[in-house]
Amino acid sequence: MSLRPGSDGFDAVVVGAGPAGSSAAIGLARCGARVLLLERGEYPGAKNMFGGMMSWCPAAEELVPGFWEQAPWERAVTKRVLTVAGPRSSTSVVFEAGSGSDRPAAGAGSTSDRALTGFTLYRPLFDRWLAEQAVAAGATLLTGTLADRLVVRDGAVRGVRLAGTGDVIEAPLVVACDGALSLLAKDGGLHDGFTAEQVGLGVRALYALSEEEIDERFGLAGREGSTSEFLGCTGGVRGGGFIYTQRDTLSVGLVLHLASLKERGLAPYELLDGFTASPPVARLLRGARLVEYSAHLLAEAGPRMTPRLFAPGLLVAGDAAGFCYTNGLITEGMNLAITSGLIAARTAAQALAAGDVSQRRLQAYEQRLRRSFVLRDLATFRNAIHFLRHDRLFTEYPQVVGAMMEGLYRSDGSPKRRLAALGLEAVKGRLPLRRVVADVIEVGRSYL
Amino acid sequence: MNVIDLFDLVSYRVHPEAHIRVDESVCHGCLHRACTHSCPARCYELDKERGRVVFAYEACLECGTCLLVCDRGALDWNYPQGGYGVRFRTT
Repeated sequence: MSLRPGSDGFDAVVVGAGPAGSSAAIGLARCGARVLLLERGEYPGAKNMFGGMMSWCPAAEELVPGFWEQAPWERAVTKRVLTVAGPRSSTSVVFEAGSGSDRPAAGAGSTSDRALTGFTLYRPLFDRWLAEQAVAAGATLLTGTLADRLVVRDGAVRGVRLAGTGDVIEAPLVVACDGALSLLAKDGGLHDGFTAEQVGLGVRALYALSEEEIDERFGLAGREGSTSEFLGCTGGVRGGGFIYTQRDTLSVGLVLHLASLKERGLAPYELLDGFTASPPVARLLRGARLVEYSAHLLAEAGPRMTPRLFAPGLLVAGDAAGFCYTNGLITEGMNLAITSGLIAARTAAQALAAGDVSQRRLQAYEQRLRRSFVLRDLATFRNAIHFLRHDRLFTEYPQVVGAMMEGLYRSDGSPKRRLAALGLEAVKGRLPLRRVVADVIEVGRSYL
Repeated sequence: MNVIDLFDLVSYRVHPEAHIRVDESVCHGCLHRACTHSCPARCYELDKERGRVVFAYEACLECGTCLLVCDRGALDWNYPQGGYGVRFRTT
């Protein structure tokens, strides 16, 4: 590295040992940089409540060859369920990747098509493992250490200040991977702070249930897993519910659009209580033991909240860069974090080697992200992400679906009717027809 | 599930000093008091007799909800010092 390291001997400081930070640290260390990885928790993952799925992505294998053979994962997801919950019935769509009896002990990347397999993770274990890979690659990990400010000199970021002691750690380059609130990037003037409009609040209850019971209730075998997403179960607040299967635990929770939660004046734990007691969820949780409760914010506004991604001596990756989204059908974040962490590392290593960490040099980071799926996916679903701001998607439409399906299956001696008639009747009294037509057009523009 | 049970299941290493400070003079006069219902850890409660919001940091889940629902800028919001605050289970 041709830039002079800071007085502490580091070429780069990475803040936050989550997936983005540890990936950045691995990438930098592999390129020969002296990297300090800071984590505010007692250990990496101590502050993480994620109970979800990580989609497969090539960056993981580039960071650690044989990634999924080594990483501690819970279940290989082969089954995805989308459920629209109504007051009297629920309607589901189930996707299953070619799986089942031919692979009784679903191994790593268990379907023939790895890209269709995601993995559910238990993040306190996963994050610890990924940070260990960074240490093995040569990075120095310092836990229980909160970096609360950037050190800026002559218009460039030159290191971080530690909370409590006020000690300064100097380095020519800082990679901020400090999570969804993105306080360091804000300190560096890259954004003005995220707003309630831009984020979702995730609340999660963790339940313990035997592996066999989970297999049976969710229709799984071996290490196969499922994800279930629910619409219409949030008391009118924009958002949705989820159940993710881990090996012998279930992550059950809600993601609630924060501006909507605030506006409705409802308490997230009361909504979670209602969700776990609702018929389609309660039967899956029967006899399961509640073991933990947690909450976290999720970036949800896509490109409308992406901060500036670089400044002299500074790169931002993962949740801190707003790289997390849901379009109502899929929710992604971890693969974006790991990929952006790796791209940040490559850009940073080249900048350090060239002895130039100027804004001009570091803009290569954003250019690479624009070519990768990270910023392209956010752009693709830009309108879909925005479409989810309509309250009626979470209130009237689930009722319409329920009424239609009930009409389809009802057999009470009166003559059956065609689908169009059932649909019109389900809509009547709930939504003006022209509103529905306008929404169909918007769905077309946003998703098709 | 009982809502009360939820809060008893979280483990913390509590720092003697609060990591979030609420400026009550700014807070006073807020009509929506969104923090009292949006906070997932019930750190903000309305003292009905005195008509003010009472804050306790010990059970904070460090999510940042209060920072984003407060539109008066009443909060000096920080994470707890390194190694303190909520800790999620490893097993």
